[in-house]
Amino acid sequence: MIRFLIKGLIRDKSRSRLPVIVVTLGVMLTVAMHAYVKGFMGETLEMNATFSYGHVKVMTRAYAEEAELLPNDLALLEVSTLNEELSERFPAMEWAPRIRFGGLIDVPDEQGETRAQGPAVGLALDLLSEDSNEIQRLGLPRALIRGGLPKERGEALISEAFSQRLLIEPGDDITLIGVSMNGSMVMHNFRVAGTLLFGMDILDRGTLILDIEDARLALDMPDAAGEIVGFLPGGFYDDATARHTADAFNAAYQSDPDEFAPLMKALSQQGSMGPYVQFGQVWAGYISLVFVVAMALVLWNAGLLGGLRRYGEIGVRLAMGEEKGHVYRTMIYESVCIGIAGSVIGTALGLFVAWLLQEYGINVEGLMEGASLMFPTTIRARITPPAYYIGFIPGLAATVIGTALSGIGIFRRQTSQLFKELEA
Amino acid sequence: MSISGSGLLAAVGVLLLGVEACTQPNADVILERVDRNMHSENRIVESRMTIHGRRGSRTMTSRTYSVGDRQSFTEYLSPAREAGTKMLKLEDQLWIYSPPTDRIIQISGHMLRQSVMGSDLSYEDMMEDRRLTDVYTAELRGEDFVDDRETYVLHLKARVTDIAYGSRTIWIDTERYVPLREELYAKSGQLLKRTSFSDVMQIEGRWFPTTILFKDMLKQGDGTEFRMTGIQFDQEIPDHIFTKAALRR
Amino acid sequence: MLLALRLAVRNLIGAGLRTWLNALVLSFSFVVIIWLKGIMVGWDHQAKNDMTDYEIGGGQYWHHLYDPYDPLSLSDSHAPVPSHVKDEIQAGDMEPVLVVPGHIFPRGRMQSVVIKGINPAQTIWKLPTGELDADTDAIPAMIGAVMANGTRLGQGDRVMIRWRDTNGTFDAAQILITAVFSSNVPSAEAGQVYVPLERLRKMAVMHDQATILTFRDGRSQRPEIEGWILKTKAELTRQVDDMIKAKTVGQSIFYGVLLLLAMLAIFDTQVLSIFRRQKEIGTYIALGYTRKEVVGLFTVEGAMHAVLAAFVATLYGLPFLAWQAKAGWTIPMEASEFGMAMAQTLYPVYTVGLVVSTALLVTLATAVVSYVPSRRIARMNPTDALRGKLQ
Repeated sequence: MIRFLIKGLIRDKSRSRLPVIVVTLGVMLTVAMHAYVKGFMGETLEMNATFSYGHVKVMTRAYAEEAELLPNDLALLEVSTLNEELSERFPAMEWAPRIRFGGLIDVPDEQGETRAQGPAVGLALDLLSEDSNEIQRLGLPRALIRGGLPKERGEALISEAFSQRLLIEPGDDITLIGVSMNGSMVMHNFRVAGTLLFGMDILDRGTLILDIEDARLALDMPDAAGEIVGFLPGGFYDDATARHTADAFNAAYQSDPDEFAPLMKALSQQGSMGPYVQFGQVWAGYISLVFVVAMALVLWNAGLLGGLRRYGEIGVRLAMGEEKGHVYRTMIYESVCIGIAGSVIGTALGLFVAWLLQEYGINVEGLMEGASLMFPTTIRARITPPAYYIGFIPGLAATVIGTALSGIGIFRRQTSQLFKELEA
Repeated sequence: MSISGSGLLAAVGVLLLGVEACTQPNADVILERVDRNMHSENRIVESRMTIHGRRGSRTMTSRTYSVGDRQSFTEYLSPAREAGTKMLKLEDQLWIYSPPTDRIIQISGHMLRQSVMGSDLSYEDMMEDRRLTDVYTAELRGEDFVDDRETYVLHLKARVTDIAYGSRTIWIDTERYVPLREELYAKSGQLLKRTSFSDVMQIEGRWFPTTILFKDMLKQGDGTEFRMTGIQFDQEIPDHIFTKAALRR
Repeated sequence: MLLALRLAVRNLIGAGLRTWLNALVLSFSFVVIIWLKGIMVGWDHQAKNDMTDYEIGGGQYWHHLYDPYDPLSLSDSHAPVPSHVKDEIQAGDMEPVLVVPGHIFPRGRMQSVVIKGINPAQTIWKLPTGELDADTDAIPAMIGAVMANGTRLGQGDRVMIRWRDTNGTFDAAQILITAVFSSNVPSAEAGQVYVPLERLRKMAVMHDQATILTFRDGRSQRPEIEGWILKTKAELTRQVDDMIKAKTVGQSIFYGVLLLLAMLAIFDTQVLSIFRRQKEIGTYIALGYTRKEVVGLFTVEGAMHAVLAAFVATLYGLPFLAWQAKAGWTIPMEASEFGMAMAQTLYPVYTVGLVVSTALLVTLATAVVSYVPSRRIARMNPTDALRGKLQ
């Protein structure tokens, strides 16, 4: 019976083509939209994750207590071992040691005397390793205004506004006056490779970006790092996974009383990120809900229209003596087939569109003119597990309900009227 | 912690040299005796400084040349990372030379106000070189015991406004005329820092405390210990040492 | 034309559930777009209002050396209050704030803070400065929730604070936290301790001095004051604009797709109705209607969906939107979260422009989608149409 119906659907294009196209389109939009909303709502979080919190962050317990103060005296030691442990236990994630520090930038004149000075906020990242993803992660190529990215040890990036205040050009030497891990005043020379514009006051004031090995040397932090930030596979924050990862990691150190034992915190457990994470989740949920409801209405309507299209055909079938219940049931079966076909094709297409949006993003640079550079000019979608099934709710359920409702009309038709209708 | 070394020395200098006529004869006489005991035209001090941090302690050694209380030159000897770092103080100016950068940087303005990071001293603490009696009014408050030694308790109250500590209390050994303890107070009277002097030894006929412990009383921690391993008084120190050119040499 | 409209309405209503489903979908787009945009506008207002209420007032004058991102600048960034703003201060329409760097020592760890002297009787901000008027042996102080979280200090706690007066002399005393406020403005909370202005002036020996002058009225043109830099509200809230802009751009794509969905339904309906009503179309033409008129008739009929949608939207949307504006949309999260960077309840704000532009957009889109399939009519052969023959 089912095979018979499917044959009918395939052979009679007018019965199947348009309904399947409508369902496919609708499901595709729903799936792509869900992924889009997920990605879009996550942008702010990703920005925060990229620059400061990571999806998860490993610190010493003592450092975590006052993380906002950048207490490098409480930094992690033997970071390479810890990094290995992290990579081993969570191989799908990317781990990046970082040092955040404060200091003074001192610019010499020709005699080597101080010409200008300014307070700097430093961020040390792995800029030079082949396998490091940090430059892309922070979008440094896009933020670059003058000069180039560091190519070798001893090169640094500073924010454009800062370079203008101190009258520094790429290629100039500067001295960082900072504090070593154990409190000594330290000085270290760097060559300015390039200048950056982030478009956020707090970063444009006096940011100094160093390679982490340089920072370790300058700040006397051999194999140490203030924090190791971790990024989930796919590069998108997922609160449950991040928290789960943190819990799993911390469980191993539960019995260690050392205040310098490592501690992992998820993004939502740091600073005031928790509310943001929740806001994003709720908002994405609402928008998806709105979409599914709207889509269901549309497909319901499509189901109704499908019933109307086949008004004549059903008349003939009834006239030939087919039972009303049987006609109704076959209509429902057909709609289930159409719903499944449309949902499957739509989900596949929707996932493809979402994947494109995830990989390449939508460039909204033109729309963002005048806004901060820190805000992403490319909006990316994000495929999460619900994207695989969410399309079936409107695609299957709504189509079937629409058909079921429109099909009720079958039972109202009078046999005596059938031929009159057919004559017309 | 390269700076506080000479900072400690400077602070000691301030304490030891600040003697002049004053309204409180008793207290002034005591301070003058202290001065006579410890003052020298110049001196060369080798010292070992230990900073007790939250994660353990670190020790560094240095040699300081000083003339009077206005000029000093410090060179760090160990650990390797700090070796070669030099610091020159002339009057109210301070320069630091770091070998890896080959730069001489003047520590001035706001940087002086910052605490020397991690330590229990600020740059300003080491820069203060006015005589105590120029800026404080001294008063004998009575007698007390410090580490089983009988001491005079002197209370010093600021006479000028541009000074870091509104008042100080100094405990001075009644017999040897060396300070055994000093406390620095905020204007409100809140105790900010405490300095303990110990291991008093006789060197070239003078009594001299060779171990000093600095402690910021508002912070947790065990403070910074300063131990003099060699002191020579009234030596020939060539003038060129107290020049910026000497920093690079 | 009137006839056309009446016919259109009759035809639509006659189509029953199909029409109402279409209208419902369209109305859904209406309400959702208005609500979402309203939330965005509301968020924008709220963020700016919070900043106004807790930090920037109607705008500020900054001492020319004041730089909130450079802690080293703080010890020099103060000057006597300019004499010609004294009347305004007297009237309570301008509040001087003195900023002095200091340190607090919670649990023996030193932490840099910015000490802000603020008038306890001020009325420009919603800060609970009245609580600073406490009778205590310690210095009454107020901190934000962000700070309270970071330092684990709470109301009634005492902590040592150390600062330096204008001469550089150290001073230190206990502060008593008499109030903890939550403002949704992190920059008004992080690392800051508020104490009574006159008390701080005395503490720092900075008589009659200030670092920031905040005025109440942001609308009138402000004169330049020598030695002070005028920071208008627009300048101070630029980052909020950027954030809202970023969010709005991202959401407009969502609006577009939502509309597209609704249009899919309208299009489907139009195609079917033209297909099924060929005889009717032939009759119109036989009766002397030009093809253009018939196309117009069907376009109007399709576009009427938007009107019906507006009607439906008014039925359920108006109460919903009104209720939202009043009750606000509360982000369901743990209420125990302190020191949030955004308000937990956002109140959507709908402007006339917002409603009108959304209505126009939806109507226009519907009209276009109704017109496109109707064009087929123009290509129909009237006799075939009359006979109901398929094209």
